Amino acid sequence: MKINPRMVSLGYFDGKHPSLACATTGGKVFIHSPHAPQEIYGGRLEGKGNSSISLLNINQSISAVISGSFNEEDRSSGDTLFIGTPTNFLAYNVHSNTDLFYKETADGSNALVIGKLGGLEKTMVIAGGNCSLQGFDKDGEEGFWTVTGDNVRSLELVDFNNDNQNELIVGSEDFDIRVFQEDAILAELSETDVILDLCRMSDNKFGYSLNNGTVGVYDKNTRLWRIKVSKVLYIITLPLTFNYFFQKSKNHPTSLHSFDLNGDGVDELITGWSNGKFDVRTDKAGEVIYKDNMKTAVAGIVHGNYKMDGNECLIIASTEGELKGFNQISPENASRGIAVDGITSATPGGGGGFGGSKSLQDTNTEQEALRELTQRKQNLLLELRNYEENLKASKMIRPSGLGELDQKEMGIIPADTTIQTSLTISAGTTHVGPHVNLIISTSNETIVRSAIIFAEGIFENECHVSHPPKQKIGQEMSISLFPNKDFPIDLHLKVFVGYKSSTQFHVFELSRQLPKFSMYALITKTDLPEPAGHVTFKIHERINRIVLWINQNFLLSEDFKCDGPDLNINFQALRTLGAVSFTMTGRGEVTIRTNDMDVAADLIQTLCTFLNIEDLQVTADFPEEMEKLGNILSKVDEFHAAGQKLTAEMADHSNIIKNLIVRAEDARLLGDIKSMRKNYMDLFNFNKDLINGYKVRSTNHTELLNCLKQLNQIIQKAGKLRG
Amino acid sequence: MMELNLSRLDYLQTGTTSPNSMQLLPATGKKEQTNKVAVADHSGVVQCFGIKKKELQSVFKTLPSQVKLTRMELGGPPGGIRDRIFVCAHSEIRGFSKKGKQFLTFETNLTDPIKAVYVEGGELLVGSNYIYNRYTDCTDSAYYLCPDRISDVLCLPPDKTDGLLSVVACEDKMLRMIQDSEMIYEFEIGGSPSTTKLYEGTGGEEGDEVIYGTRDGKLGLAQLSRLLPSQKWEVSNDKQHGGILSLDHYDIYADGIQELIVSRDDGMIEIYGYDENDEPILRHHQTFAESVTSIRGGVVSAPGYDELVCTTYSGWVSSLTTEPESSSKIKTSMPSTPVSSHSSAEPVKAEQYVGINHDTLERIVRIKDEIEELQNKVAVERERYQSMAAQGNSISAVPHFQVNNKWRLSRADASYILSIEVHTAIDFILLQSDVPVDLLDVDRNQAVVSYSATSVEDGNYLLTTYRCQANATRIEIKVRSIEGQYGRLTAYIAPRLHPKVCCVNEFPIKPLSLHERTHKWDDTRPSNSLSLRGQFSLAEVHSWIAFCLPDVPDRAPPGEKITMTFASTFLNTQLECCYSAGEAVFTSDSVSTISILKDVLSKEATNKKIRLDMSYDISDSSVPHVLELIHPLLEEQLTLAKNVQLIDALKDLQVHETDVSFLSDDYKGILENADELKEKYQRQPCYLQRLYGIITDLFIDKYKFKGQNSKNKVPALMEVLDNYSLESLIAFFSRN
Repeated sequence: MKINPRMVSLGYFDGKHPSLACATTGGKVFIHSPHAPQEIYGGRLEGKGNSSISLLNINQSISAVISGSFNEEDRSSGDTLFIGTPTNFLAYNVHSNTDLFYKETADGSNALVIGKLGGLEKTMVIAGGNCSLQGFDKDGEEGFWTVTGDNVRSLELVDFNNDNQNELIVGSEDFDIRVFQEDAILAELSETDVILDLCRMSDNKFGYSLNNGTVGVYDKNTRLWRIKVSKVLYIITLPLTFNYFFQKSKNHPTSLHSFDLNGDGVDELITGWSNGKFDVRTDKAGEVIYKDNMKTAVAGIVHGNYKMDGNECLIIASTEGELKGFNQISPENASRGIAVDGITSATPGGGGGFGGSKSLQDTNTEQEALRELTQRKQNLLLELRNYEENLKASKMIRPSGLGELDQKEMGIIPADTTIQTSLTISAGTTHVGPHVNLIISTSNETIVRSAIIFAEGIFENECHVSHPPKQKIGQEMSISLFPNKDFPIDLHLKVFVGYKSSTQFHVFELSRQLPKFSMYALITKTDLPEPAGHVTFKIHERINRIVLWINQNFLLSEDFKCDGPDLNINFQALRTLGAVSFTMTGRGEVTIRTNDMDVAADLIQTLCTFLNIEDLQVTADFPEEMEKLGNILSKVDEFHAAGQKLTAEMADHSNIIKNLIVRAEDARLLGDIKSMRKNYMDLFNFNKDLINGYKVRSTNHTELLNCLKQLNQIIQKAGKLRG
Repeated sequence: MMELNLSRLDYLQTGTTSPNSMQLLPATGKKEQTNKVAVADHSGVVQCFGIKKKELQSVFKTLPSQVKLTRMELGGPPGGIRDRIFVCAHSEIRGFSKKGKQFLTFETNLTDPIKAVYVEGGELLVGSNYIYNRYTDCTDSAYYLCPDRISDVLCLPPDKTDGLLSVVACEDKMLRMIQDSEMIYEFEIGGSPSTTKLYEGTGGEEGDEVIYGTRDGKLGLAQLSRLLPSQKWEVSNDKQHGGILSLDHYDIYADGIQELIVSRDDGMIEIYGYDENDEPILRHHQTFAESVTSIRGGVVSAPGYDELVCTTYSGWVSSLTTEPESSSKIKTSMPSTPVSSHSSAEPVKAEQYVGINHDTLERIVRIKDEIEELQNKVAVERERYQSMAAQGNSISAVPHFQVNNKWRLSRADASYILSIEVHTAIDFILLQSDVPVDLLDVDRNQAVVSYSATSVEDGNYLLTTYRCQANATRIEIKVRSIEGQYGRLTAYIAPRLHPKVCCVNEFPIKPLSLHERTHKWDDTRPSNSLSLRGQFSLAEVHSWIAFCLPDVPDRAPPGEKITMTFASTFLNTQLECCYSAGEAVFTSDSVSTISILKDVLSKEATNKKIRLDMSYDISDSSVPHVLELIHPLLEEQLTLAKNVQLIDALKDLQVHETDVSFLSDDYKGILENADELKEKYQRQPCYLQRLYGIITDLFIDKYKFKGQNSKNKVPALMEVLDNYSLESLIAFFSRN
């Protein structure tokens, strides 16, 4: 049976026996209980007698499935199954086949998590939807609500700051991981793609996975490691090394789970991939300790006592319904550290069994280690040879030595060649939008053949290549960069230097940082209308510190200096063309004037981080945003009204349709073909109306969602204005 | 059937190696039951070693020389043991005894480097670029000039044949049988041969059976009897593995029958057994990460355990042995350093390898030690290099590194396979093309690909970087070109070495890039022709043809009037080029082919300021003929696309209806073969678009020859294609 990715959960629904609940096609959830077959059927639940599989009809597309208990201390009362759909949220007791509660969630629920949050007393199930987070207690009462920056894709509860209370970690589509201590944001961790999954690990660490194929582990604010996976092999990067870049990978992680597979007391991070591969990595450095393949994409990873033999085991489910299980290695085995047993087969709706025992480590490790070392030795020898040859060549330089032509073809360049880079802002032309110009030039007559820039987040793929045609090659090369978000970017350059006719080029590798607010041009006197929106706040800092901050975060041709007692600096935002002015009086009163609340919020947040300010009182006034907010609110009202009207119409229609069917069938039984035909024709027309109505309703709903999203985002932005 | 379990064991690493530059010396006497390994590399070193009591023992090792050693063969007295080593060094042949004494230095005075050598008693057979030469006791005794490059030579065993018959494998897909200086016949095979070998090492019962491997990965057995050659079998390369580099016969299964052992340039090693009809069947395969240049079967490390010894491009000499893993640890003789001191100095590191055999641990520690020493040395040199930058007047010169690249047309899906291999790990590759090409996904390719935005006005249709994984020395990329769009694909290859350099490799994309050379011609097809007349020499017209078409030798073959035939790998249309000085005639059943040739040739001639008289003869019946050739391909693709679309819906039905017997047979078929269909569909992305493109080109070309511009009718053509049927398409072509 097919399994929807990410919608696999293991629960002890009767309090004793483990069952697997997975969402499958057609708005159904199947529950596989190999040990205690379901007893009560009817209503939502269908199944056959003593079969270990029962199907739960939700009749809507399912967006999330989890199971858990509201009573954490005593789980014997049985777990509850939670099912999220784009419009609703259902808590369901499988054992007694009853709904606990059923809630409408306009923002949908893309991700669910259950547990205790912060100092809140009750265990809640938290649903993350379209920019919003809602928590429900066991009676279905809403006990928690807050907003976040974009669609929520993943949720996890972790004691982030070691205060023995859980914080809520939210991964969303705007590439940010946010940590909520109840409803206040504790930390914001910027990533480079949509955060697909989060998972709690031992020692309050947590793992994450991104859409572009990155998997990593955070310990509080610091990333311990991350790995970018392309197809099969891995590139591991620990902090402080720079040879790591991004690109859309051919695979993406479909599920993430933590489980102590090797029995060493520390959880490992287990990642399932869309190509069916799964791997087990250590939490500290991300080394792979085990990997294997499923036939199709991995749909979910769970663990539990599924064999009922007292041992926790890891279960991996694929989208086609294949299941693989692994026993935890007992500690005495772990010291020898090799084998993992396969467990018995349990594949609903499909055959296949588990293999015998699997080897954790490749037996050939020693050979591989040797090979790698020899390879390293060979590399060193080659490098040594390069230097020797270089020395030889430099001695050969005399009139009768290498000809000029040869020299150029060989790509021999003066040893003192250096590469200079500079960054300038350009407002752009009618054809080219505003951009930052990166100019690369050589220090002598050598030319720049080509340049590759690796950077995260500003290119479609991991890098940008500049390769001018032969006639345009020169000592200088200019590359336009279009950052579309305000964040600092590390540019890693590889520059090919040589001569026009060279067949071999020297590769210069250098790095350059683009400051956070690079797309803001300094303007001296302003022709731009004064922005109506502004924020004011007071800080106790010397102006010089602020000047330093400005120099670090803006792209200025020369360092900005403040002459008078008051600081006043004006920028033009190149993307929106609006003005941004920043003033600070000698008494520490700061005013930021801009119509863009987002920019103001960003500036305040960066400034606070720079100055280590934890709490800041801010007065803000953004008439434009407020007006927008008003508009959105009235629009939301309209959509709600329209939605209700449409629902009423639909109810009407469905009544008529029921009538028509009965009449038509009556006519058929009576042999009155003519009126049967007429009734069915009417039915057809009503059906068409209904479908049209549905289309209107669905566009109405999308619009509504859009508005709500904007609304949530404005709230989020405004929230960020606080320090 | 017996399961073969081969474990890899590395002996040592030499310099980069060419194909077939390793041999196993025959075991001598009763005391020695193992073979010794002799290997020649690009740094000019010939070395020979054996394994004694699990200890690697060098027999001899020559000093490095400036000349690359490209080939190694064994020879011996007539009827005696072949234990003399012959290697090629440019135009020189060197001979070594098994003890390492150099007994022969023979300068052939050939201008081109020697590609292939074969030794039979006192006879030395040599193939350089186009020239086959035979030397009897080092005096010139026979000579033959081939029309295309020679890839391998051998001679049939003289004791079984009458006179010395040599077989010369040439790149124009021919095996040529040569006696003395006369060619007896040529025999066409399925691909451009890369290596040949006598069947079972002896040439079979008659001594005239030759196994060959081709550059596009085919294997075949030809019986080359004196009068009439015949094909015994040929194995096609459906799975698109790499080209064949080395062949050997060895009874690795120890069942009394010699198996055929094959190594390929994508690292694949295969063992073929023979069935009752003597047809080969694949029994085992194993993959290395880089091309396996030579492979030989024998017994090296332990008596009684058969193994396959192979060399890789970057110089690893490794073995796949039948000996169980645990007992097969080899110690290399390295400068001895007291191990104990090191293990105590690095207790942490040693701990990582707990559970590893003590010998290996010892080896690891030793290598680590060596590495440390080297690292210090490198650090000093690096500093010196850096300090040079401060002094004026000095230069930075990095020696060229070798790139082993292959650019070959893969017939199966009409695309090019580009493989790049460097003797050390590749860091990244930048691919740039000045014509539109598509890059296809290759499963074996594990590099991180990144497409960069391109600007056509800068002549960049493709800018793609491949960032390679650590230790990847080889990369394979598939490129699809469009006929008529020609230019160049440039690869900038940077290895993971300091000081960092990148080397430029260029690959031509020819106007008729998807054609391949054949020797067949079908007279019955309708034909269009293009004739050229003008003041041009044979060499000039030959160079134009070489510019337009792949598989054409650089030099014009001997003769005044030359005929070459080609077939399109995509559509199977044919092309014949018939040319001499001042005149050339091109005949093809495809109007598009003729149109491309016309455009390119007139442009080339204008560039060279040569006046050409062009005339063409277009046959109207050729267009429906080509459409009929396309028809089966198109229909297959359309059905496939339709079926694939249905799979998901049908699967859904299958899940929710317990019984699917009510479905029609067609649908049941789709359900049964769902995976196969999906795989097929994914394997050929854009195939349909490609076919549509060809039909559109054909349409435009047809009217171009009539002097009409039909571009405005293309939308109408697309409409016809959307509701495709062969009749309506042919009608559309003839209507307009």
